[in-house]
Amino acid sequence: MNRFIASVLLLFLLGSAGAFGQTYSGERKFDGVHKNEIAGNLAGGYNTVSGVFIGEAGFYTHHFTDRWSITGGEQVQFIKWLFSIDAMGTYRLPIKRTNLYFDAHLINNFYTRWGFHEFIANASAYWETNFVDIRFGMSYIRYLKYDVKGLYRFFTDDGYTEPPTLIFGLGINIRPRNNPWNLGFFIRNYDQFYYENWNINWGIRAHVRVTDDLKIFSEFNVRPAGSLSQLATRYETSLKAGVRYVW
Amino acid sequence: MSGNMKTKVILLLALVCLAASSCVKLREKISPTDIIIAGTAVEDRIKMSEIFYLNHYNDKVWLVAEGDYSFLVGADSHVTTDPGRMDEMLAIGLRDKDLFYAHLGDIADTKAEYYATLDSLLWYAKWRYVEANYEQINDYEYIEKDSKLVPPPVYTYNDIVYPFFPVVGNHDITRNGWALWSNIFHSSFYEIDVIDFLDNGEIAFDHLIFLDSASGTLGKTQIDLIKRGILNGKYDDGTSAYRYTFVFTHTNIFRPQFNEFASTFPREETFFLLDQFEDWNVTCVFCGHVHTWDERNFNSVHYLTLDAMCEANNPEPGDYLVRVNVTQDPLMLEWKPVHMNYTPKKK
Repeated sequence: MNRFIASVLLLFLLGSAGAFGQTYSGERKFDGVHKNEIAGNLAGGYNTVSGVFIGEAGFYTHHFTDRWSITGGEQVQFIKWLFSIDAMGTYRLPIKRTNLYFDAHLINNFYTRWGFHEFIANASAYWETNFVDIRFGMSYIRYLKYDVKGLYRFFTDDGYTEPPTLIFGLGINIRPRNNPWNLGFFIRNYDQFYYENWNINWGIRAHVRVTDDLKIFSEFNVRPAGSLSQLATRYETSLKAGVRYVW
Repeated sequence: MSGNMKTKVILLLALVCLAASSCVKLREKISPTDIIIAGTAVEDRIKMSEIFYLNHYNDKVWLVAEGDYSFLVGADSHVTTDPGRMDEMLAIGLRDKDLFYAHLGDIADTKAEYYATLDSLLWYAKWRYVEANYEQINDYEYIEKDSKLVPPPVYTYNDIVYPFFPVVGNHDITRNGWALWSNIFHSSFYEIDVIDFLDNGEIAFDHLIFLDSASGTLGKTQIDLIKRGILNGKYDDGTSAYRYTFVFTHTNIFRPQFNEFASTFPREETFFLLDQFEDWNVTCVFCGHVHTWDERNFNSVHYLTLDAMCEANNPEPGDYLVRVNVTQDPLMLEWKPVHMNYTPKKK
């Protein structure tokens, strides 16, 4: 059964174009003018296993209509030697003055330092109000040690498929979401390119709209180990900073 | 950019920097639930364990087996006022002549009186062990019964190693638990060798590795020690010096099922450990923590996650222990569940 699910998801991934963009509260909705978005950020931090690391990520989003959009992205984290690509399709359902987004997200992570390939499929609902945003969803996560000689043994039993993983996130902003600048706090068990089990990360996010089509953003992320049921212990601390342009 | 906007940007960046610096200072002792806060973080535990390890390197324990041998593994006893299950585990190990008994952490809940109870229990268990396996030859000295060495080595009571080897669990280190735990067991990160004298005259070495994962991460110091090869067990040509390698640690690698809410290792560390266990040529990894049984193979390494033996979680008798049998003819290794009968007293 796992092979069947993996096959379907892999085919879907291969057939999809684009990936998930870096999104911030108040910025996801199509503004009615700019159908295309491109964003890029630099990242740096410290991880207990790999030590100091630096990286970059880039994203492209296209709004087909006021409701439908698709996004694509990539990430490279040097020293960790983590390479990621992802794809995400989104449907927006307006509810009064709030928005409910339904996201389907696919990620391929290549942790080449340890020779692991991780595949993630996630479906989630993201509710965005003026000051608060909440996400709930489920993830399918499979990983395996890949054979450097050739094909990934994705269709064999050599890998491991985790039980379905619940994901959850909460964000709070100090300004209304359409404000030209904002500062917010978040707590969640996922990030742009990973979905954890019960390890919660939290941090501070900020953005400033410099012009109508250009924005700068930043995010400080504390990612402790063992934060649920164990003792929250330093694991990873990172900072992202980037720009987003729409046209 | 207007002057007003510049002011906002500067203010925002200042706030982010301020918050970031606060977070870095708090990073060692953050708990969203504010229920379980460690007095001693993993880095300090490993530093203390490393010092103990180096200072007692010459006292390193060597377990001696003659041909076939077995060992017993239990997890999550959470000893409180009633140490019945813990006592039963040690009695089973003594009765069935297991070479050693390994405990996968969360041995007691963090209260001084619970550790006093545990300490008394271990003191009595050692006394029973010495009575069963050693002969007292004078007021202070003992020789091993059935020793094949001539003359047999002479031990004082303190020299005799009671073969009970635990790792530390997250419940062992809450509040000031590490002070209680380390007072009895000293080190949370160590290794032991088994020397097996085979019937054909050859000698085989097996490797026991005990890792401190009580915080959901091994921490930088322990990972650096592993990367430096402190537990490597390999010859210069890269071949393993050991026949079998067993790893004992608290936090589980694999989640047994969807509704298990115990945290596991973060992504990178999971992959680091799976890779490291393969590199060590580990035969079997024993984990606890999640209080649910799980068994699986991953990249030729066997992983057993044990159910909790504690009375609070499993009051009914059941198969909460695991015994591993190492046999030489045929050369094989097998594990079997071991039944526990103790039922807690009704209050």
